[in-house]
Amino acid sequence: MLSRSAIGIARVCSRGISTKSSEVAKLTDILIVGGGPAGLTLAAAIKSSPKLQHLRTTLVDGADLTGKVAPFYDNPPADYTNRVISLTGPSQRFLQDKAGVSLMEDRIQKYDGLYVTDGCSTATLDMEQDSMSCMIEILNVQSSLLKRLSDLELDADSFQLVDKTKVASIEYSTPNDTGSWPLVTLDNGDVYKTRLLVGADGFNSPVRKFSKIPSRGWFYDRFGVVATMKLEYPPYKIRGWQRFLPTGPIAHLPLPDDNATLVWSTTEPLSRLLVSLPPEQFTALVNAAFVLEDADMQYYYKQLSDGKMSTEELLADIEFRTEQVYESLQVQDLVDEVYPPTVKSILGHTRARFPLKLSHADTYCAERIALVGDAAHTTHPLAGQGLNMGQGDVEALLNALENAVSRGSDIGSLLALQPFWADRYPINNMLLGMVDKLHKIYGTDFAPVVALRSIGVNFINNFPPIKNLIRGTLSESGR
Amino acid sequence: MNQQGLAMKLRPSLRRIDGLCRNTYRYFTMRQKSTLTSNDEISHFKELAPSWWDVNGPQKILHLMNNGRMDFIQRIMRQRVKVTNPDTYIPGFNYREFFPVSVSRNIQHELDLEVDSRLQAQKLSALDIGCGGGILSESLARLPYVEHVTGIDLTEECIQVAREHALRDPQLLHKLSYDVKSLEDVETEFDIVTCFEMLEHADLPSEILRHAWLRLKPNGVLFLSTINRDIVSWFATIFMAEYVLGIVPKGTHNLNKYINAAEIIDWFKNNEPHTHQILETKGTLYLPIKGWVEHDCSDVGNYFMAIRKLE
Repeated sequence: MLSRSAIGIARVCSRGISTKSSEVAKLTDILIVGGGPAGLTLAAAIKSSPKLQHLRTTLVDGADLTGKVAPFYDNPPADYTNRVISLTGPSQRFLQDKAGVSLMEDRIQKYDGLYVTDGCSTATLDMEQDSMSCMIEILNVQSSLLKRLSDLELDADSFQLVDKTKVASIEYSTPNDTGSWPLVTLDNGDVYKTRLLVGADGFNSPVRKFSKIPSRGWFYDRFGVVATMKLEYPPYKIRGWQRFLPTGPIAHLPLPDDNATLVWSTTEPLSRLLVSLPPEQFTALVNAAFVLEDADMQYYYKQLSDGKMSTEELLADIEFRTEQVYESLQVQDLVDEVYPPTVKSILGHTRARFPLKLSHADTYCAERIALVGDAAHTTHPLAGQGLNMGQGDVEALLNALENAVSRGSDIGSLLALQPFWADRYPINNMLLGMVDKLHKIYGTDFAPVVALRSIGVNFINNFPPIKNLIRGTLSESGR
Repeated sequence: MNQQGLAMKLRPSLRRIDGLCRNTYRYFTMRQKSTLTSNDEISHFKELAPSWWDVNGPQKILHLMNNGRMDFIQRIMRQRVKVTNPDTYIPGFNYREFFPVSVSRNIQHELDLEVDSRLQAQKLSALDIGCGGGILSESLARLPYVEHVTGIDLTEECIQVAREHALRDPQLLHKLSYDVKSLEDVETEFDIVTCFEMLEHADLPSEILRHAWLRLKPNGVLFLSTINRDIVSWFATIFMAEYVLGIVPKGTHNLNKYINAAEIIDWFKNNEPHTHQILETKGTLYLPIKGWVEHDCSDVGNYFMAIRKLE
């Protein structure tokens, strides 16, 4: 009894001390770290939900969201930006219905299928589906969400957007008490004390590090090279084109009119070569990669990195070999059917590269903490699921919070957050695993593996139940 | 049915109070003086007090059950709201069968908003009898239409834990007060009175019912939950939960103290024949992966009940 009251006194003392440091702290119900698509969607969805809109919400991001991202909505550039992602139907509906967003429709391209080929064999998977998914610039998603948040005309007590500001440190308001409200200090000196801290702060999530939730995964030793491309003519068939090369998949995805976007996963040295080549050579290589054999590509890479081939020689050689391949087709009209539209040029500074990795956090929630989007999981871009998984997380978290509020639970308690994790972990784990296996099966030109995967793909292509299942998974992002 | 006949139907402990101390004895004082079992109960919960709020600790299943209780309470409270706003469309038929999903969702959404605003206009008071560490009291206090919650319990340690925990949430400030107090010492009347998972810990449950009913304002609602006294309950709540799975602390339950739903209904029929209305009785069952789910067999295992006091 005596010891218990001693503990009680110690508790009261420590609380007394901690309130001193947090006297200046601003109280908020939900603090979202990260103004990417996941964080902004969560903020807009909370403020659009009748059950949650009373919660004081704060969003912190290091970038200049109001100055640089928001104006994109009213004054978009003529050219397309290079960060383009695939947004599935359910993600789009969620953004419209629950977050109340109207995306910039004229900058979105719906596509009606995926045509997947193998760089080492003739195996083909032709998935057709009207409006399977759509290609959209990340800036379109972000600026539409910012527009929605400003249209709501929320007062500072209800929602605050703190941009150009980074999180300096996070601590518990009562040290060693994980149930106490986290104190988040920003680099502008402000301190927030929050009921729930949401980490939407990407792969290197400071919130995840604070939560001590382990995250496991590996780097693929591959880089993604992106670029925005101009086509010679608008495509005949609006679909995504993907070819699995032994160095990694290359994807050619449609944007409105004669625009398209590229995601080319490849090895680290090759990615460096690809971003440093003159634009004409790069354009020629993109066109060649969908038509020629891998041996030809390897030859070009070698010649170009050794500086033994001029642009003229490269263009002439590629044209010659491409013609040969075209002539070998039985019907000339098939060219448009099996190869993507020819790229005319790439836009100025749109080439960029980034490392590819897989990571998955062991759990997405701890007492007073929730992780969404890349903070919880990162994936290879080959199936176009990354952003959609983040949207799925936000939807599940929103549902968990709505339930918690109607049950009078503390929205920061583990009990309130656990259903969110239980909803998302299995499906995310399945998608991450599927993408990882695809990467591994296609990451080789070892003949027996090529033969087996070709038999498998040809079988799937002619067996609708499995094909529909895969197509459904990709277009519904597994929801 | 006369008093004797009723007493014969009731289980031993109910019969005892009906026969011995019907209305003259102060139930709690008597209990503290003369019955050992209630001291056992108090010391049992005293031991549980420190881990009360650990959602993965010994009270995990109670935390999960609280979700079920709150869903039940919310449903009953919302059902009682009459939408009279002429601007809100109230379909007089099963609209979900006839309208497309988006239309029926919008209708539901508008109805929800109207119910919300009417509920929030009320400022209700609630009494949580046997509040323990305050799991239900805190949840009730966070509801926008509840103005104040009073939580009472006989275990002092639990009340200490509850008070301390409530300090962690500024939202609960001025909305919640706790007392180590017996039910009959409570003086005011309330719009909502709850007795969740406590009748089976009381020696004289009918006295609790009687006093709880006295503390209810006209048109108020009494929510209660306990466990039917049957083999299924013994298997689920004692054998499996306490001894096999270990999800409930050993010694929490005593089969002889369980009360059948029919006995509660009979008690109201006999004691409050024209002043009560049973709003709903629902069985509830714990499934290890799904959590607590409601079902319609309220005569088996755990159950929830809502009773309205007629004006």
